[in-house]
Amino acid sequence: MKKLKMKKVGVSSLLAGLVLVLLAGDVLAHGERAQLASMRMRTVHWFDTKVEPLNVKVGDVVTVTGKLVTSEWWPQQLASIEDTVYLNIGVPGPTFLRLHSEVNGVPMMRSTAFPLGKVYEYKTVMRARIAGRYHVHPILNVKDSGSLVDKGTWLEVAESDSTAPFTNEVTTLLGDTIDLETYGLGAVYTWHLIWLAIGLAYILYWLLRKELFIPRFLRIRHLGQDRANEIITKKDFVAGGLFFTLTLATILGGYLWAENKYPITIPLQTGKVEVTPIEVPTGDLEVVVDSASYALAGRSLSMRLKVTNHGDSPLRISEFLTANIRFLNPKVTESEIYPGEEMVAKEGLTVSVNVIEPGKTVEVELVASDALWEQYRMTGMINDPDSRFAGLVFYYDDNGERFYQEVGGSILPTFF
Amino acid sequence: MSETPTSELTEVEVKSRLLDMKSLDNPKAMKLYRRFDGIIILVLFMFLILGIQIHFTLTAGDWDYWIDWRDRRWWPLVAPFSLLLFIGPFAYGFWARVRLPIAATVITLLLCAVSWLSRYLNFYEFTHFPMSFVFPSTYIGLGILLDCALLITRSLLASALIGGGLFGALVWPLNWSFMAASKVPVELNGTLLSVADLMGYQYIRTTTPEYLRIIEESTLRTFGGSVTPLTAVFSALCGMVIYGIFLWVGSRINRLDIYTKRIV
Repeated sequence: MKKLKMKKVGVSSLLAGLVLVLLAGDVLAHGERAQLASMRMRTVHWFDTKVEPLNVKVGDVVTVTGKLVTSEWWPQQLASIEDTVYLNIGVPGPTFLRLHSEVNGVPMMRSTAFPLGKVYEYKTVMRARIAGRYHVHPILNVKDSGSLVDKGTWLEVAESDSTAPFTNEVTTLLGDTIDLETYGLGAVYTWHLIWLAIGLAYILYWLLRKELFIPRFLRIRHLGQDRANEIITKKDFVAGGLFFTLTLATILGGYLWAENKYPITIPLQTGKVEVTPIEVPTGDLEVVVDSASYALAGRSLSMRLKVTNHGDSPLRISEFLTANIRFLNPKVTESEIYPGEEMVAKEGLTVSVNVIEPGKTVEVELVASDALWEQYRMTGMINDPDSRFAGLVFYYDDNGERFYQEVGGSILPTFF
Repeated sequence: MSETPTSELTEVEVKSRLLDMKSLDNPKAMKLYRRFDGIIILVLFMFLILGIQIHFTLTAGDWDYWIDWRDRRWWPLVAPFSLLLFIGPFAYGFWARVRLPIAATVITLLLCAVSWLSRYLNFYEFTHFPMSFVFPSTYIGLGILLDCALLITRSLLASALIGGGLFGALVWPLNWSFMAASKVPVELNGTLLSVADLMGYQYIRTTTPEYLRIIEESTLRTFGGSVTPLTAVFSALCGMVIYGIFLWVGSRINRLDIYTKRIV
């Protein structure tokens, strides 16, 4: 009876496991929602991210461009981007080849450092390698902080029309053109096979004998440790000498062969590069946060701002950007939404004063409200160790020119 | 190894041991022993292959995964350090109990086999990295040298000095035969790179940024550019010490059988 029960439990567990495996979907994103809300709001503000084109074939080139601002409200408990950062791209492994990447025109093969409160323009050029549907994210890997991920854009990669295998050819400084997909594999396979053969020969020499573990154990116990070496025969000694010599000779031979085949080699290269922040036109709006609150039930962030227009053109607040979510003011139509762009609340921003006239200081209430707060787990702000927020306020002048200013400060939750 | 001197054995134990010795002339007993040997081989195979894979992954993982991590200074130190501390206790056990100098060769051979399996299935088939970027290193030659040093000298101490030293010193030359190709110079955007660096840049690793690599970071800067021989000498010294220490650990582990006897 007990056995039958156990059998039933076993079969049920197996079936449950099978169902789970069959139901499991593909992993399609990079867990950006799992990051702390404050980490997403107060580290890097990504904007104008464009992935072009969105439908390609294997072998085609894809370009990812955009801008980012390093937040002046960077959390103190997080290692700063001012130390070491690397521009990366979030794709599922090497489904793309990275051909080129740059920040403010500086090639980004290596790591760099970004001061806070500056703006950077980045560009990554890739070649599609494996067919599939991918969520492409620009990423900054910050040393000791982890990955800071921009929102993703879906990209379709179809199989190439050509049936030829994918190649990745480069020309070395010695003038040879090589295919990195298969480069050097002949020597890798050959030398590994040689070593496997020698290793197996040595092991088989010892294992293929009449007396192995138990008989040898009994003999050693009988002889005692002082005389145990007697079970090593002269033949074993000679074989050991031969294997020792053969191994040393093969190592030396392999080394000399490689030195002869590749006479010019260099060590692995590393180092940091310096990137100068770009100058962007500073707008005439001065924004000071008086207070900010977050309504847990209402999925909205409200800010009371004191706004002064120091210029001579009327200004209109068009957008609030935080944690990669764009809250657009529907009354300002200049804001552009890029093809495939996600995390945009088209009517998510309410501004109490539509036009800030030149020379005026007004109090403005900004309400950023949308289900995206919930969808992107921003409600987790209540669990943050440092309840502060930051974001970019975008505004336009009469000429349609866009400016931005970073705002931030303490934020209080409202529960009812 | 702890061993009860024959003078301290009881009469029954002495008789039992004599019978054991006589059993070696009995074909039926030998057949049974061979079966037990087969079981021992199977158990050791499973234990060692899983053990070395987990151990090496945890202690030297990235250095062996990617060719753009295998620098001249850290990889030749980290890899033998990691391997010798695993090999030491087994080498002692195999030698003290059955006088088989095979632990190092078996472990490096199994590591090589399981690494190829892992690289092919996990890295090549599942995550699409080209094998030319993720092929494993080999340490089999070093394992043979370590075992043969023990066999020839028949001394654990001498094998630690000769074998441990060679194990540390020869990591680079052993692997150079198939790794040299990845150190050929190329240029990208006006920057000098080795082929390995270029592959590390082109084949995207989202969570393994460039700054994680530890490339030639140390204070061994004397003798100009002689990084490789200097590292080899230092690695040889480390190999002797580490292997010696873990042979001693093995001897302590082997003494645990006295507790088994007490319990019995």
